[in-house]
Amino acid sequence: MVTAAEHPTRGAATDRAASGWLRRSGLRRRIAGLISLRWILLAVLLIGVLIYVPIVDNFRVSTTNRDIFTGEITNVGLANYERLLQDPVVWSALLNNTLYALLSIIFQVFGAFLLAAMIEGLKSKRARNFWRAMYFIPSAISTTVTGLLFYFIYQPDVGLLDAGLRAIGLGDWARPWLALEETAIFGIIAMSQWQGFGYSTLLFSIAIQKIPRELYDAAIMDGAGPIRRLWSITFPMSREMTGLMVIVTITGAFQVFNEIMVMTAGGPNNSSQVLGTWLYQQAFIQNEFGYGAAIAAVIFVVTMLTGAAQVWYTAKRRVKL
Amino acid sequence: MNKTSKMTAALWTGAMALATAQTAAAAGDLVKANPTAPVDYSGTLSIMTKFGSQHLSPFFRDVVDDYQKLHPEVSFELIQETDDSVKGKTKTLVATNSLPDIFFSWTGTWGYNFVRGNRAVDLTPVIGAGTDWGKTFTPAALEAFVWNDRNFGVPLYLDAKFMGYNKRIFADLGIEKPETLEQLLAACDTISESGMTPISFGNKNAWPAVHYAGQLLVYNVPVATLEKDFDPKTAEFTDPGYVTALTQFSELQNRCMRDAPNGMSYQAAIQAFSDERSAMYYQEILEFDGSANDETTLKPENFGYFILPVPEGAKGDTNAIEGAPEGYMVSASSAQIPLAIDFLKFLTSQEVGKVLSASPYGQPSAVIGGSDPDAMNANVVAGMADIDSASYLMPWLDTVNHPRVAAAWLAGLQALVGGSKSPEEVVISVRETAEAVGG
Repeated sequence: MVTAAEHPTRGAATDRAASGWLRRSGLRRRIAGLISLRWILLAVLLIGVLIYVPIVDNFRVSTTNRDIFTGEITNVGLANYERLLQDPVVWSALLNNTLYALLSIIFQVFGAFLLAAMIEGLKSKRARNFWRAMYFIPSAISTTVTGLLFYFIYQPDVGLLDAGLRAIGLGDWARPWLALEETAIFGIIAMSQWQGFGYSTLLFSIAIQKIPRELYDAAIMDGAGPIRRLWSITFPMSREMTGLMVIVTITGAFQVFNEIMVMTAGGPNNSSQVLGTWLYQQAFIQNEFGYGAAIAAVIFVVTMLTGAAQVWYTAKRRVKL
Repeated sequence: MNKTSKMTAALWTGAMALATAQTAAAAGDLVKANPTAPVDYSGTLSIMTKFGSQHLSPFFRDVVDDYQKLHPEVSFELIQETDDSVKGKTKTLVATNSLPDIFFSWTGTWGYNFVRGNRAVDLTPVIGAGTDWGKTFTPAALEAFVWNDRNFGVPLYLDAKFMGYNKRIFADLGIEKPETLEQLLAACDTISESGMTPISFGNKNAWPAVHYAGQLLVYNVPVATLEKDFDPKTAEFTDPGYVTALTQFSELQNRCMRDAPNGMSYQAAIQAFSDERSAMYYQEILEFDGSANDETTLKPENFGYFILPVPEGAKGDTNAIEGAPEGYMVSASSAQIPLAIDFLKFLTSQEVGKVLSASPYGQPSAVIGGSDPDAMNANVVAGMADIDSASYLMPWLDTVNHPRVAAAWLAGLQALVGGSKSPEEVVISVRETAEAVGG
């Protein structure tokens, strides 16, 4: 191998001069940066082809009507979006997704935060580990299995829930939860909280563990009680995790699918449809791929806006140590 | 435009072109079967069945094994789906141009979709009415897979809906087999008074209610009107028989079924009948052997059936039964059409038909002589005779209608069952959907 110093046409002075020029112009750093890009090039290409191209293509498909049997594609402009605005099931599905998100934020973000704070406040390490594991176990079960489990729990004749209500004298509250239009979606949301609560609690526990103990010690010396410490230290110091959990929860709420299909298939009378299941119904049951793509576009925009808003808010209110 | 922008634009253009090409991939020209084409007994045949349930799934596995004994070089990929899952799976495979060599199909609009898209092989030269193979089928079953005067499907079995009942419970309560809908309602009252559920009904997936409605519609609406209304372009849904039929269904639900059918699955409801927790269950003839056998509480000797009784004053076809043959098509994109046809001939032989018709499968073969009454459940034999003598086979509402109209029926009837819509409102919602589809 011939080095620069040994090169017959390049003297040491020239080499130094060139090196100095490169350093001054920052070109060497730029070249090094470009060369290092090769390590992520494959990943960028894969993400581009598998994620971003389909996202863009989805918007194109949403402006067409495609007959899957004949393959005929008709450009319809924004007609699918106009139809979407007039489709009452889309609005009730959107409401269901929003309900899903709101209740999930209450239980899986703020409820889980409080529970994590309580668990991390326990003195015994064994007790902390035990309760973390106890709450996390439901998250380890697949959504489909959990859906089936709750489908049986909600059964009016043999289900545990109604039997339990009757056993404690609340028989008037017993009802066929999944069979009624007014209760079906709440039955599914409740199941989802049961399953997701432990996972959020575990993440908040990790966030709380990272908070420096000195802050609590100082607060105790200043006479702050547990609620004051929770509000003034734990909560603001967990804000980034809270923000992340809000994004994940809202995004998850707009992508919910499995539990609905297993428990109610969107019924009765489309009362428990969410945007994901309505999309599936339109595209794969009614052959309306263009309309399904328009619904998918709505889901994408909602989750993107929510994520962007939350990232902006969290960055603005970040606590720096 | 700088270099980077040009590269990005080129990349996006390429990606979009790729996506467009993929999406635009469509079916080709009509493919006709060649009766003289040589069969190459090698390679893999993919088959999508509707026999995914536990008690039916061994059938195709056994047939495939038997075929492989004759032709060891042929291998199979079996995709076994259920009543519910086969609908979504089929459409996904169509959308991605990945239909298996042989695939299940209903008759009516469902099957016609494959025809108009040139997705199914025109089998007329090999199975048409005058051919050797065609002559082996019950003519009505073969005819059900004809569109545009061409044969596109191979009927495998006949299906129809009957009310199964528990003879022991009826005898204990002194109830006679009902002859009219009014007698059935009175029988329900007696059974309810005994503390038992008269008819178990699981409508979580919405189509079970559609089956009740279909039979009552053909009793109350003239067939010519029904057939006109199946096509959104000519549909009106103005016949008063529609509301009458749905009102009768509501009455049946109120007096014969327990609360909350929308929260119960079809499987849970049939299990209740098999466990003798209900006295009746409205089921397909295909399910007779599954709902009463040696492993169920309800034993075959206590199982009886009757056609859903005709309401008094019915103005439609009172000798019609709701049902249709079900069968298989060959994918036009298959590279092994002669082999697929050869396998279908094997599948529809009299010997295989006798296995299919007998217990534990109990699927009445569409092949003439494809059943051995001595080896079959007597109720299935009698049910087949009822199907043969029916004046009209009323197709399933959810496969004969345009998908959006079918969805309106499904959601509307689920609302009727749940009490949030009246019969009139259901018919209006169906009518409005048909108008929107028909333009």
